[in-house]
Amino acid sequence: MTEQKRARIKADKLDTGFGSFRNVEVTIGKVIDEDWDEPMGPTPMPGVTTLRDWDHKLLTKYEPSYMPACQLCCLCTFGKCDLTGGKRGACGLDIKAQSARIVLAACNIGCAAHLAHARHLVDHLIHEFGPRYQLTQGEGVDIEAPVSRLVTGIRPRTLDDASSILDYCETQLTHTLSAVHTGQEGSWIDFESKAFHAGMVDQVGMEIADLVQISTMGFPQSDPEAPLVEAGMASMDQSKANILCIGHNVVPAAAITDYAMEHNLQNKLDVSGICCTAWDITRHDAKAKIVGPISWQLRFVRSGIADVVVVDEQCIRTDIAQHAQKVNAPVIATCDKSCMGLPDRTNDDVDDIVADLVSFKVPGVFIGDHNKVGEVVVKTAIAVKPKRKGKTSLPSKKKIQELAQACRQCSECRRACPNDQPIMEAVLAAQEANFGPLGDVYDECIGCARCESACPNEYDLHSWMVTAAKDRWMNESYLVRTGRGAIKDTEIRAVGQPVVFGEIPGVIAHVGCANYPDGGRAIHDMCEEFAQRRFIIVLSGCAAMTVGTIKDDEGKSIYERRSGHFDAGGVVNVGSCVSNPHIAGAAIKIASIFAKRNLRGNYEEIADYIHNRVGAVGISWGAMSQKAASIASGFWRLGVPVIVGPHGAKYRRMLLGRADRAKDWMVYDARTGNEVQIAPGPEHLFYAVENMEECMVLTAKLAIRPNDTARGRAIKLSHYIDLHERYKGYFPDDVHTFIRRETDIPITLKDKIHAQMKENKWKERPIPDPTLLKRMVFGGNGGSK
Amino acid sequence: MMRAEPWQTAEVCGPTKAQELKKPVVVGALLKKAKHPLLIVGANALTEKTRKKSMIDYFIELSTAAKIPVVATSNTIKAFKEKNFDNVYSHGVMEIAGKLQDPDWMVAPKKGPHDLVMTFGYPYYMEWLMLSALINFAPQIKTITLGRYFQPHATWSFPNLKKQKWNDALKEILSILGGTK
Ligand code: SF4
Ligand code: SF4
Ligand code: SF4
Repeated sequence: MTEQKRARIKADKLDTGFGSFRNVEVTIGKVIDEDWDEPMGPTPMPGVTTLRDWDHKLLTKYEPSYMPACQLCCLCTFGKCDLTGGKRGACGLDIKAQSARIVLAACNIGCAAHLAHARHLVDHLIHEFGPRYQLTQGEGVDIEAPVSRLVTGIRPRTLDDASSILDYCETQLTHTLSAVHTGQEGSWIDFESKAFHAGMVDQVGMEIADLVQISTMGFPQSDPEAPLVEAGMASMDQSKANILCIGHNVVPAAAITDYAMEHNLQNKLDVSGICCTAWDITRHDAKAKIVGPISWQLRFVRSGIADVVVVDEQCIRTDIAQHAQKVNAPVIATCDKSCMGLPDRTNDDVDDIVADLVSFKVPGVFIGDHNKVGEVVVKTAIAVKPKRKGKTSLPSKKKIQELAQACRQCSECRRACPNDQPIMEAVLAAQEANFGPLGDVYDECIGCARCESACPNEYDLHSWMVTAAKDRWMNESYLVRTGRGAIKDTEIRAVGQPVVFGEIPGVIAHVGCANYPDGGRAIHDMCEEFAQRRFIIVLSGCAAMTVGTIKDDEGKSIYERRSGHFDAGGVVNVGSCVSNPHIAGAAIKIASIFAKRNLRGNYEEIADYIHNRVGAVGISWGAMSQKAASIASGFWRLGVPVIVGPHGAKYRRMLLGRADRAKDWMVYDARTGNEVQIAPGPEHLFYAVENMEECMVLTAKLAIRPNDTARGRAIKLSHYIDLHERYKGYFPDDVHTFIRRETDIPITLKDKIHAQMKENKWKERPIPDPTLLKRMVFGGNGGSK
Repeated sequence: MMRAEPWQTAEVCGPTKAQELKKPVVVGALLKKAKHPLLIVGANALTEKTRKKSMIDYFIELSTAAKIPVVATSNTIKAFKEKNFDNVYSHGVMEIAGKLQDPDWMVAPKKGPHDLVMTFGYPYYMEWLMLSALINFAPQIKTITLGRYFQPHATWSFPNLKKQKWNDALKEILSILGGTK
């Protein structure tokens, strides 16, 4: 049993999930931070409704547009209920509220996945290092956990503090989860507000997860020059035993590399990863390798390169054990959340387990003890390699041609393909030994194998594509910079002013999964375009791998070409999914370090600051998971707009501003208290684009903020206009709405803009000190007013 | 194949599904009845053709013949502008799905509010979702999809058509509306 952990808070006024108190000293437990002189803000450890007013402000400005994937509800035995045509379910819910409930459900699931991951890490590390182990993000980072400070009012100094913060998160998640139950919440806006809450809590949980692993596991610590590591399917040394780790939780993978090192076996092994475990294992050991993003699972396992497959948690193919079995690669499940139906051998003798695996007596095992995982996996890999002899389940071209003759031309493969790939046509070409079309499908394939499931002939169609494209992946090798962790306070100090004034036109974060509509090249092209335009590019997760796959004429990836510093034109990989809060944290730290705002328990003021001043835009080109939904939700509550690729439309809800409704774009001028008209920026809070071209134009536009100085606004407008002209073919007709004063006009475009201003009867407007919060009026810097 | 079932296999929505457009003449009749129709064209129109004609040219003819304004999403608008066609407006695909839920919204003064919307040129799932927004939250609007594949969330949709049949249908629609061919 873990000890009950609690927090103690002193405050003049305390709004919590339990109520509002004045002059209180609450001892919720043992996190006592007497030597922190930053005053406590108004909302430490906010409950589900504490920030509801803020949420409602955002949700009124950016109204949800729902696109239900299902018009029924079948969540309780009253149902199924038909919610079409304004009908309500037996519980009283209508389709709008039901759609919002689905959003909340997704954010809860995503938040739970990260929180459980964080909890596992913290408990494991307390067990290894003790509760008083000191936490650090590295030199030059005094604000070690900006999101946790902002939300909870606690600065986590030790593993024990981290655990206390997770206690808070787990309580909040229980509440937001319970709201999904039949007969609880009834209004769309409150479901949405709770989704924001789950997203915010998720950011805290992820921040704790990354902080504790950075502090204890030898990861780069806020290092802009974090190592370049090898990536791509061809980067594996096939003369060695290959261990593939899939998932997000680095503990088992680290146990493997640690065991190999301790026993001097590194020269016999190659350890690689897919998905975020790949990032975190290379942060732990830069000799480890990255196979690729989440969608590389099937192709790599079927290639037979991996001798052992180790799975931990999140985004693993749930049928991976069957596929590994076909190539005689034993599977080791290591996480209680994904046991894969394998027998629990946690308490068995290592040599017995290894013997059973190497003789293929069992296809895989579940081992809940990570140290044992290290030993079993290393021993198994070395022993099984000569027995497997690189067995592959990829068919030869000859075999494919032979099998393809029986294609029924039923199109079921294409109809099952999320990317509508011309699979049948490619199979028909293969009948004639023309494998080009199958190779082309490979380029746009996300490796889901739905085409295989659908084919009445039971063709292994994905494998056929992989065989057809063998020349490509046999040469797929590139360098990526592994995750650096946090952004240094000194870097923030250097860029805070130009970002807030708009002279660095924006911070663009490419995050998330690999559910790409047509391959991943678009991510690279967008990063390169905006880095050239002196935006700061930040990356994490699978997106951060994909961006490295495109090489220039000299064979260099973007990470080799560009600096990893958080500065104009930099391409900055923070790390895995749980590293995302370093991105939110950078925005939060701008408010703290540059603008000297208090962070501690001061969520609303800082979100208002970021929303109105920091030109940050999140992009998740291949967003797939519920985790991606809750990550996005954490950004929404901070007022940061998020763009998703076309498949992201399947989140079924956009948050759209209405540029054509002037009344929606009013702020208080904190200096005068007057309500002031602003330009419609950022125009949307959540948006699925149709293609890269739309994304380019929208990204530039969403970086515009009410606080831009004249020079900053002119710079941002010139990027927007230039990209609009390139992709839409004409001068945008809304430029005049963004001009407040003559000085906002980009000098080279004066004539065109003047003409547009005249045509639209433009009037000069003040540049406000913008805020959505009335309490911030009159020099609002205090946070607890 | 002439089946009125979703082209992408799992895209089933609920108790209702689109009426099958069996005869192109129905589109003509619906358009003639509509007060303020709107044509929404996505980027797949940049690469798709009907017979040898680009879909952009087809829609320019359709819009001109039936006097329907066009919303061209993303970079699709560039192709329309390059052909000096000016009854075209730029909105994002998700934006237009959102704006049309406002019963007072119109693409330009006196050109709305819209009561009939025709769509073409999106990834199947994206069009499916856009139409879901409209069928659920814009009951004042009827929708017609002009793509080859059945879209269950539309009010009217072709069944899954072979290319030849689809080409014929498009041609007939244009001639009913007084376009060239
Ligand atoms: S495996 Fe590739 S080709 Fe097959 S359905 Fe999935 S995305 Fe389409
Ligand atoms: S599903 Fe199978 S049989 Fe049918 S067209 Fe595709 S490859 Fe041929
Ligand atoms: S929708 Fe997602 S979670 Fe559900 S079966 Fe498909 S891939 Fe799995």
